[in-house]
Amino acid sequence: MDDFNYHEPRTLAEAAVVLHAARNGVYIAGGMSLIPALKHRRVRPSDLIDLRLIDGLAGIRREADTLVIGAMTKHADVAGLDIVRNSIPDLARLVGEMADPSVRNRATLGGSIAHADPASDYPPALLALEAIIVTDTRRIAAAEFFTGPFTTGLRKGEIITAVNFPIPDNAAYVKFANVASRYAIVGVFVARRAGKVCVAVTGAKPCVFRFGEMERALENSFTPDAIKAIVMSAQGLTADIHGTPEYRAHLIGVMAQRAVASAAAKPRPA
Amino acid sequence: MNQVDASSFHEIGRSVRRKEDFRLLTGKGHFADDYNMPGQAWTVMVRSPHAHARIVRIDAAKARAMPGVLAVFSGADCAADGLRPFNHNAVPSTKYDMKLTGPGGGSVFVGRHMLLPADKARYFGEAVAMVVAESREQAEDAADAVAVDYEPLRFLERTEDAVVPGAPAVWDEAPNNVLVDAFFGDHAATERAFAAADHVIGHEFHVGRIMPLPLEPRAGLAHYDAASGNYTLYFSTGGPGIVRQRRQFAAALAIDQEKLRLVALDTGGNFGTKNRPYVEHALALWAARKLGRPIKYRATRHESMLTEYQGRDLATKVELAMRKDGRFLAMRAENVMNVGAHCVSLSPLAKGAGLITGSYDIPAATLRARGIFTNTVPNNVMRSSGRPEVTFAIERLIDMAAAEFGFDRIALRRQNLIRPEQFPYTNAVGSTYDSATFEANMDLGMKIADWGGYEKRRQEAAARGRLRGLGFANYIESSTGSPRERAEITVTPTGRVEVVLGTQPSGQSHETSFAQVAADLLCVPIDNVEIILGDTEVVKEGGGSHSGRSMRHAATVLSLAAPELIEQGKALAADILGVAPADVDFAAGRFVSTRANRTFDFLELAKEAQARGGVLKVVKDNEMHTPVFPNGCAVCEVEVDPATGRVHLTRYAAVDDVGRCINPMTVDGQTHGSIAHGVGEALFEQICLDPASGRPLTESFEEYGMPSSTTLPPLTTEIVEVLSPTNPLGIKSGSEGATAGAPAAIISGLVDALKDFGIRDIAMPATPLAVWQAIENAKAGSQANNKARHGSWKWRA
Repeated sequence: MDDFNYHEPRTLAEAAVVLHAARNGVYIAGGMSLIPALKHRRVRPSDLIDLRLIDGLAGIRREADTLVIGAMTKHADVAGLDIVRNSIPDLARLVGEMADPSVRNRATLGGSIAHADPASDYPPALLALEAIIVTDTRRIAAAEFFTGPFTTGLRKGEIITAVNFPIPDNAAYVKFANVASRYAIVGVFVARRAGKVCVAVTGAKPCVFRFGEMERALENSFTPDAIKAIVMSAQGLTADIHGTPEYRAHLIGVMAQRAVASAAAKPRPA
Repeated sequence: MNQVDASSFHEIGRSVRRKEDFRLLTGKGHFADDYNMPGQAWTVMVRSPHAHARIVRIDAAKARAMPGVLAVFSGADCAADGLRPFNHNAVPSTKYDMKLTGPGGGSVFVGRHMLLPADKARYFGEAVAMVVAESREQAEDAADAVAVDYEPLRFLERTEDAVVPGAPAVWDEAPNNVLVDAFFGDHAATERAFAAADHVIGHEFHVGRIMPLPLEPRAGLAHYDAASGNYTLYFSTGGPGIVRQRRQFAAALAIDQEKLRLVALDTGGNFGTKNRPYVEHALALWAARKLGRPIKYRATRHESMLTEYQGRDLATKVELAMRKDGRFLAMRAENVMNVGAHCVSLSPLAKGAGLITGSYDIPAATLRARGIFTNTVPNNVMRSSGRPEVTFAIERLIDMAAAEFGFDRIALRRQNLIRPEQFPYTNAVGSTYDSATFEANMDLGMKIADWGGYEKRRQEAAARGRLRGLGFANYIESSTGSPRERAEITVTPTGRVEVVLGTQPSGQSHETSFAQVAADLLCVPIDNVEIILGDTEVVKEGGGSHSGRSMRHAATVLSLAAPELIEQGKALAADILGVAPADVDFAAGRFVSTRANRTFDFLELAKEAQARGGVLKVVKDNEMHTPVFPNGCAVCEVEVDPATGRVHLTRYAAVDDVGRCINPMTVDGQTHGSIAHGVGEALFEQICLDPASGRPLTESFEEYGMPSSTTLPPLTTEIVEVLSPTNPLGIKSGSEGATAGAPAAIISGLVDALKDFGIRDIAMPATPLAVWQAIENAKAGSQANNKARHGSWKWRA
């Protein structure tokens, strides 16, 4: 790890000032992805700006049909708190199966989505639930937020403050985990709200994406059978030692059908 | 050998809680990285970014000018200082080892393990220069700044590519990359049996290369005292132990071994990879003298994954000849070990060579065993070295023969097992097994696995859309190891029984199990016994811990030392009591005489000895070459999700004949770890090099799959104690056996689950991708799945 300057700003404005003044500043939230990258010198910032002392960034509240989760909320809280379990149970389950307890007690929602790992679990949830990412300056639709591998629509210095999750009628996430890292080889999040269906896929491409053909079929009939015949093209899918593009294409179908079956069996809690 | 009377044992056979745990669990262990000294500097290696490349020039000018940098050394500097290559004793040489020879029967050229090579880098990550700086970070920065000009050469990953004419030579001395080519068995008898056979089944298998990955990567602190000329290395190690490694380090540094002290107290895992010395430790000692500073080294996890000696990687082609009633007649095997860039150990090849016929009475066999260089990390022993490979071949071949020729796979095994009355039994390649009850093992294994209840479980799984399979494997392994061991027992006036031994544990509970043996042999409380290991200041002789040797060698030498100490005690007691030594008995832990009222136990007697200016102490050496043969079986149930190829292990049962079991709890624990090791090999672990660059694609836990508590099934294990007649306590070994049977049992279960697809074999590791591809190929009617992915290895004369 290289030397760097460490800052603990108390306000969003102060954080932004420090970042813009730094030669190569980086925000740090939970640090569960950033710290390993620092150790391996894949990221070599001049300044590390820790967001942990800024008030109001953590916490979960419900506003009508929306769940608002603060950017600095730890995975362990999203996984464990009834306010999430009672409104979007599969979001709680998804987060509860990420990494391990020590990581879940440090890692944050904002840090995770800002990192935008193409195989991580939060992005398909945000995409399928049509979440809104709230920053210190604006609101960004999930569909505009994830733009590529480890790349987002955030501007320099912009800080995520919360994510608004509209509560769906049905939702489920099914993931096929890599035997080594437990990241998704393929993960599919299916959500239905007011008749509209979103199917979001992680792990299979350089960026999380929605599978429109399945969405249209599921809007006609929200059953696994409705998408049985829909085959994803292997073209452009990720190839690595854990999965060929053809395997990933196949798994998208299997995971999507399982997610639909699971979501259909779990209507929105009263 | 005379057996010890077991009737008075109190501690042996009991699950005594580990004496080492309090120290380890309260953070009071002494691991390699726990050592620091004032004024220490750090070393970091410059590593080759090529799998095979000529080193043209090393320019360290920029690095030397960087902050904190004390020195940069290269292979040329090592050569100038007269440093020598390690002598790894790579060719097994004890009396009972299979004799491996070079091509044409000559000696074996093992390559040269220079501390830093001056000519070529022969595998990705090989150290080509060392940097020493005030801090580790400064050393890392400087290592990045050392400019090395390489001339990349074509690299070899697999043995089948290395023996093709025109392949690049890893060593000029072995232009065809072959270092071992040896033949065993009775060729004529085997050929006759094959000619007369009703059935012949053959197959090629590859037991893949895996990483040992102890929790503790290698590390060390080297110190040189200019006034005395003495060197000290604080590190962690295993295998041959500090006595032999002291000789090896001293030879590489060209110094007198009396000037070198090795201290290795606690070791955070080994699995074989620490059984050979590492260049970083030797270089740190050298630099400590050159720079007059203590030098610390600690490998990162990334370095440990790139450069720690690896294991397995055996390609084998096997054939079995049978009579139409199922009787095995003969076997042919051709085993090829990928030794890596230079050879640090041929033990896996030799160990496996002696056991190709497994637990079965196969009258004739031949084996051609070869070792081949490639541009991969040197391949070393790893837990149960050599045995999982040959067990896999014979056990899988029997399953295939049963399927092919219509036999029940269990009945076929029973019919051909070596029967208890055949022991001692000499197999067709010359290994003499001491004792075993193979069929009783099978009965017990199938019972604890609830073999009879399987069909119901299969149907229940089928109703959920899952394919269940039932796997079985017998195994036999050999436990040999360094033949010499020494015990020094001192009974101190403060009431401690200090026992110095030359073993080198890395989690095997020696402080507990050896204390149990000493306590029973001397009739002293176990709490008073202290086992002392791991410092050449006190340990002058001993063979370390490898090949399942420690318990057997330690108990044997203790059982020879104890009577001598008792005789000393009798003489002393007689002196105190004023009677003749012949009038003193040692009974129920007390020295007594019918001619006197006072009696003493050992601890009381030690006080008396001190009062008289004496000491109760014995030093006993023992040399024991005869191997023993732990054995057992494994039953594994798997469930496959045919839609994804994911394999779940649902049940696992293992039976292990360890000879006399000193501490069932610690043996069970090691059995569990042994099984996990086999699970990793069978299902998860693989090392992949990028075909274009030779860079490993599996250089972190993000890519390299390890077994974990969540991927292991509930384990049901039973210990069988068929006493070995070869040593006084009847001990075999209990640390490695379950690894030998595990891959075969798991793949047996997996293939059973997939048999309706016509799948006969599946290459390891059976990752979800591999299983899914096998199913897809089978559905497509392709024969590709009948060949192991690595099974394209072709025999070349």
